[in-house]
Amino acid sequence: MLTLENIHTYYDRIHALKGISLTVEQGEIVTLIGSNGAGKTTTLNTISGILTPKEGTVYLEGERIDHLPAHTVTHRGVVQSPEGRKIFARLTVQENLEMGAFNRNDDDGIASDYERVLTLFPRLRERIKQPGGTLSGGEQQMLAMGRAMMARPRILLLDEPSMGLAPILVEQIFEIILEINSQGTTILLVEQNAQAALQVAHRGYVMETGTIRLSGDAKTLLADPQVVEAYLGF
Amino acid sequence: MKKGLNTGLTAFAVLTYLILIGLPTRLEGAAQPVLALLLALFFFAVLRSQGKEMGRGELLQSGLVAGLVAGLLVVAEIGFFVGLLADGVKIQPVFDKVVPLNMAALLNVRAGAIINGETSLLAYAILTAYLTGAGLLGGLLVLFTRSGTASTVRSTRIPGGRWLVILLPFLLFAFIYYLGLDGVKTFGNDKNIVRLLLVLVATGAGLFALAAAKEGVEKLAIGGLLAGVLLFLPFVLNQFQNSVMSIVFIFVMMGLGLNIVVGYAGLLDLGYVAFFAIGAYVYAFVAAPFSSPYISSLLTGMGISPDSPLLGYWSAIPLAMITAAIGGVLLGIPVLRLRGDYLAIVTLGFGEIIRLFMLNLGDLTNGPRGLLQIAQPTLFGVAPSALTSHLDAQGWIFLLAIFGSAVVAFVAIRLNDSRLGRAWVAMREDEDVAQATGIHLVQTKLLAFAIGATFAGLAGQLYAARQINIFPENFSLFVSIDALALIIVGGMGSIPGVVLGALALKGLPEVLRGVDEYRIVAFATLLIVMMIVRPEGILPSARRRRELHSAEAPPPDESDVSDKPTDGQLEGGRA
Ligand SMILES: Nc1ncnc2c1ncn2[C@@H]1O[C@H](COP(=O)(O)OP(=O)(O)OP(=O)(O)O)[C@@H](O)[C@H]1O
Ligand SMILES: [Mg+2]
Repeated sequence: MLTLENIHTYYDRIHALKGISLTVEQGEIVTLIGSNGAGKTTTLNTISGILTPKEGTVYLEGERIDHLPAHTVTHRGVVQSPEGRKIFARLTVQENLEMGAFNRNDDDGIASDYERVLTLFPRLRERIKQPGGTLSGGEQQMLAMGRAMMARPRILLLDEPSMGLAPILVEQIFEIILEINSQGTTILLVEQNAQAALQVAHRGYVMETGTIRLSGDAKTLLADPQVVEAYLGF
Repeated sequence: MKKGLNTGLTAFAVLTYLILIGLPTRLEGAAQPVLALLLALFFFAVLRSQGKEMGRGELLQSGLVAGLVAGLLVVAEIGFFVGLLADGVKIQPVFDKVVPLNMAALLNVRAGAIINGETSLLAYAILTAYLTGAGLLGGLLVLFTRSGTASTVRSTRIPGGRWLVILLPFLLFAFIYYLGLDGVKTFGNDKNIVRLLLVLVATGAGLFALAAAKEGVEKLAIGGLLAGVLLFLPFVLNQFQNSVMSIVFIFVMMGLGLNIVVGYAGLLDLGYVAFFAIGAYVYAFVAAPFSSPYISSLLTGMGISPDSPLLGYWSAIPLAMITAAIGGVLLGIPVLRLRGDYLAIVTLGFGEIIRLFMLNLGDLTNGPRGLLQIAQPTLFGVAPSALTSHLDAQGWIFLLAIFGSAVVAFVAIRLNDSRLGRAWVAMREDEDVAQATGIHLVQTKLLAFAIGATFAGLAGQLYAARQINIFPENFSLFVSIDALALIIVGGMGSIPGVVLGALALKGLPEVLRGVDEYRIVAFATLLIVMMIVRPEGILPSARRRRELHSAEAPPPDESDVSDKPTDGQLEGGRA
């Protein structure tokens, strides 16, 4: 469904991605793990069109999307839930969610997705009229995910959804990710929490300083001694 | 206690300002009671919003403290000035309104007493008492207007208060009409000014009436009635009053446009006057082609006489709009990537560049000599002032300005409710996230600049017609500042707020002629006071209010909205 071939992305002279190739198949959860500064967020931003690669191609179902502007990529069904609880702080929860459906005009579909999101995140329903900025960190993370889902993505790019959450909430978030996936959304999941990510994912990629070090079946990676040593910390 | 102190300090700043502009000198013997009354109203407004959760005692204490603080500080200040005056220190060059007469009016003594240094402590004490009393009165007014015991914290209004608010503008308009009748001698020589003041107040009161009206039929009916009365005004006011009101409503059009750029889209544009100038000059080019050396020689070369207008007022409208819109896009493109302060600085430069063009492209714009004898708008080819003796030339401009403001307001309301309006909100909140939700940033930004510019262009065209002769200095930075100040004072993002801001900032200075020279100081003071007392503006949009008060108030729900009808619930668009 989504294919990256030999992607090179730069920040001016900083060579952040040095030839990334990966694929995500329809219906999968694929996780991208790696240490801080490995280039995970850069990879997601390159896919979603916020950054443009200098070299390489991104295909969405066979069509190139690497030179499309971000809003067009969103329109094609690739929707990112950005890192660090990027929400509209002064808009209410409801307005945030509505904003997620900006590019849609199927009112019935929007209404049913709205219900779906609020069912997935009951906390948001309780705080529906509250400005996004007054939510707790975890709730903001949920809001960012919910907003992304309101675009009815074909593929959802999640950037560290468990960042800074209490263990109980982390567990909940991963359950919700599984739930979203089982409802038919393909997911590319960037995570620091390698253990949990590999447990929910079908496949995984391990990044290191702008390249893919390892890739494979999630179960295999979980057992891989290199991964265990570097990221799982036993 | 602390709140009372703060309020007192703010009141002191306001009073100092009033003293420095020489208001007491004008009020003469009535200075003390009038100032005290003004102050009481001020305290009332502040305490009403601050004191929602306060009990009776606490409220009165706050008022008392505020009044006492303001009183003592003002008295100390006056004492200082009086001391300087008695010593013969020349303070006139610095504060030209601080003269013995001013101080004498404040203390209710003879001017001679000030000069000779014979002021008694009693005079100071009386002034302090007046101002302290104002604080108490403010607190009492709050208590009085919220019925029930102090334990019911939620403020409810006196019964019938809503209808009073709704009726007030109509009563005022009726009185204005009465004052205009032949043979009415009330107010003697001051009648012109008083009538203008009443018109400004009545129009402002109309906005509050509209806010107080219940959604639905009631709002429609009252809105319709107010519109009818407003359209009637140009026929009953005199030339002077009409000319002030026409400039007020021209600035309403400008403010509504700038409100789109700054209020809706969050792009701080300080060069907004550029589009106003473009509209004015484009109209002047076609309506007074003989004034421009270049255009008139061009026309002569083509065998067309430059002596008559190329286009009438109405057919020039699309031209002015399109040219201004192009200007908006031209400004927009280079600043697409700029945010915040950088944007403000670049746009500021843009405004100045346009003015310098006007000044230096002498062939085209006739430079500082300006474009003269701009043709007046007509209605199907005739000047309405020729048809009826009740409508003078300025009244006709005023009528057009009301009409233009209504059209512009309608477009602004529709835009706010539209997809584009939501894109602006998203962009204002966070450009990156907006982009991630699929908003086309470039297009959204350029549309904000272009639409805002179009409104300013329309206003500029009417302004050129109003002025008849225009010069580059009509389009200085101060026009941008005026426009920005009025939306800040009125309430960013709110359409009624823009009208109120224009009434206050473009209308009131005409009433207090002497204040005009202090306009900059007036704006600065007003802005500072506003930011402290009511940062969301006088008639804010519901969203702004929520944004600025989310920390102190629980999230608003529907019951909250219907609870406070006079508190400016109307908004430029959706609630
Ligand atoms: N805007 C930027 N300008 C310059 N360099 C950047 C920028 N953003 C990221 N980088 C650099 O690119 C590299 C990859 O950053 P990236 O944000 O993709 O890391 P990451 O894997 O998401 O890390 P983390 O887990 O900490 O979020 C880092 O070395 C970072 O310093
Ligand atoms: Mg990252």
